[in-house]
Amino acid sequence: MRPVTLSNINERHPGGWNERDRVAALRAYGVLHTAPEAEFDDIVALAARICEAPTALISLVDSDFQWFKARVGLDACETGRDVSFCDHAMRETDIMVVPDATKDPRFSDNALVTGDLGIRFYAGAPLLSAEGLPLGALCIIDYRPRPEGLTDLQRQTLTVLARQVISQLELRRALAQRAESQDTARRALLASEYVGAWDWDIVNDRVVADERFARMYGLDPEMAVRGAAIGHFMGAIHADDAKRVNEDIQRAMNGDGVFASEYRLVVEGEPERWVVARGQVYYGPDGAPEHFPGISVDVTERKAMDANLAQASAALAESEARFRAIADSMPQMAWSTLPDGFHDYYNARWYEFTGVAAGSTDGEGWAAIFHPEDQPRAWALWTHSLETGDLYEIEYRLRRADGVYRWTLGRATPIRDEAGAIIRWFGTCTDIDDLKRVEQNKELLSQELSHRIKNIFAVVSALIALSAREYPEAKAFASAVRNRIGALARAHEFVRPHSEVSRPTVGNMTLHAFLEALFRPYADDAGAPRVVVDGDDALFDDQAATSVALLFHELATNAAKYGALSEHKGRVALNTRLAEDRFILTWTEQGGPTVAGAPTHAGFGSSLATVSVEGQLGGTLERFWRPGGLVVVADLPATALSRRRAAEKSANRHLA
Amino acid sequence: MTARILIIEDEALVAMELRFVLEDLGHEVVATAGDARTARNLVKEMEVDLALVDIHLSDGPTGIDLGRDIAREDGVTVLYMTANPGMVRDGVAGTIGVLSKPTDERAVQQAVEYALRRRVGEPVQYAPPELQIFG
Repeated sequence: MRPVTLSNINERHPGGWNERDRVAALRAYGVLHTAPEAEFDDIVALAARICEAPTALISLVDSDFQWFKARVGLDACETGRDVSFCDHAMRETDIMVVPDATKDPRFSDNALVTGDLGIRFYAGAPLLSAEGLPLGALCIIDYRPRPEGLTDLQRQTLTVLARQVISQLELRRALAQRAESQDTARRALLASEYVGAWDWDIVNDRVVADERFARMYGLDPEMAVRGAAIGHFMGAIHADDAKRVNEDIQRAMNGDGVFASEYRLVVEGEPERWVVARGQVYYGPDGAPEHFPGISVDVTERKAMDANLAQASAALAESEARFRAIADSMPQMAWSTLPDGFHDYYNARWYEFTGVAAGSTDGEGWAAIFHPEDQPRAWALWTHSLETGDLYEIEYRLRRADGVYRWTLGRATPIRDEAGAIIRWFGTCTDIDDLKRVEQNKELLSQELSHRIKNIFAVVSALIALSAREYPEAKAFASAVRNRIGALARAHEFVRPHSEVSRPTVGNMTLHAFLEALFRPYADDAGAPRVVVDGDDALFDDQAATSVALLFHELATNAAKYGALSEHKGRVALNTRLAEDRFILTWTEQGGPTVAGAPTHAGFGSSLATVSVEGQLGGTLERFWRPGGLVVVADLPATALSRRRAAEKSANRHLA
Repeated sequence: MTARILIIEDEALVAMELRFVLEDLGHEVVATAGDARTARNLVKEMEVDLALVDIHLSDGPTGIDLGRDIAREDGVTVLYMTANPGMVRDGVAGTIGVLSKPTDERAVQQAVEYALRRRVGEPVQYAPPELQIFG
């Protein structure tokens, strides 16, 4: 006997089947190792009787055993496959007859033959599934050889009975499947409180329904279980829905077959319910509707949730619509991004201005609309804001639909959730091009004016000199005036608004820088300054410029005429010091002619200086006529040199 | 030494005063021009040793290129005189330097002397402090 092994489980047998499929088919019947059943017992009893055999079996051959669903004349209900006769028989197309097992080389050394059992005669009809797969055999066994084999009647009987076995197996399987599916359905219904089931016998107009159904429809459950006319149930349907439901029923009965409807049930003492009903119409042999079962599912809660959802959706849609209305009517461009900076919204203004296609600047596409020179700066600042949550603010040039770049102010703020995490950025772009041009024009104008003022100084100075030529006796006068004007001009150089090109090459526009420029003409032959400035520097504005210029012009001119600068080795030390709220300038001459003492009367120049310091600058001016050289001390309020800035600061302090 | 000097300045009064100053010093002012074109024509027509060039002329800030050109092409010694010395902050090749306006007669005198000495290759000595010399 050739054993079945794993290696040949897929081997195709001459019948076209393989072992794997065969075993699967057998097991699908769910009959192995089940209790004996009368239908099968009857068959083996009849087989044994007709064939006059002591033993008859229904044998089912699994992968490595054979098991008997029914047997007579045998104790064992199972043997190994290796000793199975039926294993051979099932592969045949017709009844396999073994007249004398001892003389058959297939079975002569079979344990069931040689052992105590002593099988001699065997006849088995193959049991084949509907698909033709061998399952086992219906067989009879005798313990004495029968060289004559089976009679025709016996053969016919076995063949018919074998077919019966299969029929019984199929029936059994079908019944089991149906029971299972009914069971499943029943369990599902039991589990659900919201499903009621009905069954309408149309012919007799009798609806049988379960308790749940009865409760839903406001009926006495007992009556429902017993059965009631359909009218009793229809009464519960909401008046507004009744007509429609009737139509649905009619339609189902008239040929659709399928019933699907949704309606309200109004039952006294109960809140209104929404139900979904599904049913199936079955027709009789004459085509008339006979039978109409179905289920009703309570969907009240779901409908309420749906309504809420619809309401919330509508509210959201309205809110969004309002937002868009605002955003699209704003004069500014507006946009919004995800927390990672992905732009997903632009208002109508943006698209109007840039002229780009909708959606084309989503994500990071906005960068291309920026002026190339401004892109790196904008990127850097935007990235910084995304990382830190800092307010985003930047001026850049944005390309308009006509290709013109317009200066734009971009601003954005983050929106945060309750936890403080950023969930969105909202930003605007405001066209400030006109404003910027105005600013630039003002700037230009301002520089233009200041240039002209400087020029006017030159013209005035020239005029004076020319006039002096007309009046030679006034030459000294003219010279003095021209020098004073020169000092003024130079002072104003340090306070006027400058562009990059007009800015003095000295760089800093401070008191010391001005003084150094003012005293440059007094440098010695080697170019070294003879007025040495040291101490605290200060800024000075146009209000103080005239006074500063005149003061030091006078001091220097006088020193050049009578004092230290009138001699080759004379020097002046000019110290400027900030002492709390005072600014003190000390002019010390040395190395000049010995000073005899204070002059008898003040020269006009010194009057000018005094007026400048005490009047304009609000400080004090003192002269000390030391023998070694004149010392002059100007003591000013610290704010005197930059009164405008001081005023601004104080105004801001009040605002803050 | 004396020289033939061209004044290139669009403010007539300033030019006039400058002329007087130079003539007082003994120099010959060959002409005054208010714009670059006139100046270029004059330089072609006559001998000029030294030009005092303002940057802002009646035809715009044309003085810078003008000074450079006449220095290079016509061998004129060029001194810029301007209220805006920042415009020639980095110097102009072939020219001497820049004087800041307004100046005084002494500064003009010293600057002109310095420029003329440079023109004839005399050793450079004292330069007036108001004159910013191009390196």
